[in-house]
Amino acid sequence: MSAIEEAVAELARLPGIGRKTAARLTYFLLKQPRAVIERLAKALLNLAEQVKACSVCGNWSDTDPCLICADTRRDRSMLCVVEDAADIAAIEKTGEYRGLYHVLGGHLSPLDGVGPEQLRLDSLVARVANGSVVREVILATDPSMEGEVTATYVRGLLERYGVRISRIALGLPVGGDLEYADSVTIARALAARREMTG
Amino acid sequence: MRLTGLAVRGFRNLAGLELEIPAEGVVVVGGNGQGKTNLLEAIYYLMLFRSLRGAKDRELVQFGEPGFWVRGTAADETSRNIQVGVRYELSTARKVVFLDGAEVRKLGDAVGQILAVPFGPADSEIVSGTPGIRRRFLDVVLSVSRPGYLVRLLEFRHALRQRNAALRRGRAQEARVFDRPLAEAAAFVAGSRRAWVEEWRERFGELCAAMGEPAAADLRYASQVEDSGSAEAWWERFEHSAERDLRSGTTTVGPHRDDLKIGLGGRDIRFYGSAGQRRTAAIALRVLEAETLTRYRGTAPVGLYDDVFAELDEDRQGRLLELLRVSLPGQAIVVAPRDAEVPAKLFDRPRWQIRGGQIVR
Ligand SMILES: [Zn+2]
Repeated sequence: MSAIEEAVAELARLPGIGRKTAARLTYFLLKQPRAVIERLAKALLNLAEQVKACSVCGNWSDTDPCLICADTRRDRSMLCVVEDAADIAAIEKTGEYRGLYHVLGGHLSPLDGVGPEQLRLDSLVARVANGSVVREVILATDPSMEGEVTATYVRGLLERYGVRISRIALGLPVGGDLEYADSVTIARALAARREMTG
Repeated sequence: MRLTGLAVRGFRNLAGLELEIPAEGVVVVGGNGQGKTNLLEAIYYLMLFRSLRGAKDRELVQFGEPGFWVRGTAADETSRNIQVGVRYELSTARKVVFLDGAEVRKLGDAVGQILAVPFGPADSEIVSGTPGIRRRFLDVVLSVSRPGYLVRLLEFRHALRQRNAALRRGRAQEARVFDRPLAEAAAFVAGSRRAWVEEWRERFGELCAAMGEPAAADLRYASQVEDSGSAEAWWERFEHSAERDLRSGTTTVGPHRDDLKIGLGGRDIRFYGSAGQRRTAAIALRVLEAETLTRYRGTAPVGLYDDVFAELDEDRQGRLLELLRVSLPGQAIVVAPRDAEVPAKLFDRPRWQIRGGQIVR
């Protein structure tokens, strides 16, 4: 395989990028000064070398714990549970939420072989269990069928610990993805969250 | 609604066709294997983007062709024109649907834009076949007549697959969390089916009588949940069968196990009806389908008749045509193996011949 073919093949593996776009990007890069390509390559390498999952919340971060977990001004009595780290960025953009987060790393989907063991549930329970300062857990999984059942499942795990458990309001389009919702919609969904009862 | 144009390529033996369809309909005559049923199937494909005869898409592709496409234009009573197109590519198994030239994001958005009701020899299967065939009949009718039905049906199937996947792996807790979305979709699906049956059962009796059937005909929706439209009732039922489901590794109750029972003189037609009675019941169901679409979509569907008249004696032929004149006044596309089987005195329309997948006029 030639260097060009290799670059096209690697780029085409990225989500949302077909072979045509990959080829266009490759030929664009070929025309750039060497420094530009080096900066890009370095930035990509840094991703692999410096970014790790925060050992507390699961967010991607250069530091451990992440900046959010380490921020003493944040409200430690509130925990917002999301499917992916990208959802944190979407919620942070609203500027409306001052608590901490917990990333599950996906949602329950028996069809895809994703059960509770594949999600970061043990560490969630540990953060909420007896003696914890957490008073409210907001379940902000996606408004899809799998997001809903994951919220139901998590509520089942946490209800014995006497914390308030709420679910973000479903003003979000059903079947949608939190990550792609706009800030106003997310802020509204957070503000109108409802207590989840059995 | 009437079909004004049809273009087909690579679909079964229809290598390439481009037709203008007469407003009053047409009779297409051709021997076995010449392509007359394929022509009806191609038209029907524009409604559901699935084969009328249950074939897989790749089986529809003409041998040696890279794929097929079908494109139809139709006009309703207000003369609003629509164009529906579909292209299927064999190598990628990709199906793309176009509405008025623009690709639709979700297939469901284009389902039922062209409305057609098929009549044919296979219809007896609806009456005498497995419950799955009758559920499919109900699902097709409701998908194109009741807003939201298709979406909820797909949701139901998705939740069912998730729950079954959990059950297969012996995961009771994971299966259980899908009970709620499953119950909500089940209530919409089964509730809609039961409501349809209640709405049309009397009419079904009238239609069978009009076709000369002396015994009283009736329809009933049979479900393990009497209150089929209640999500709470379904939820309790799923909860109740949880242990059994876990043992069988599959969901043993639900709309996917329901049935449409057809009674004649108080007995199940499936076991006690004669071949003639089943044919009458099957035609009556198709007429109900047509009347449902007319009532809820505000336009009569195109009637696709595959060799329907030959099966009937002259008395029933006359009764059926009289019925169709009232119940299915829209455009009729009739195919028959021989000219004489659609007597001109009964059905006076332009006549085409089909040979080797080509129309010869
Ligand atoms: Zn963190």
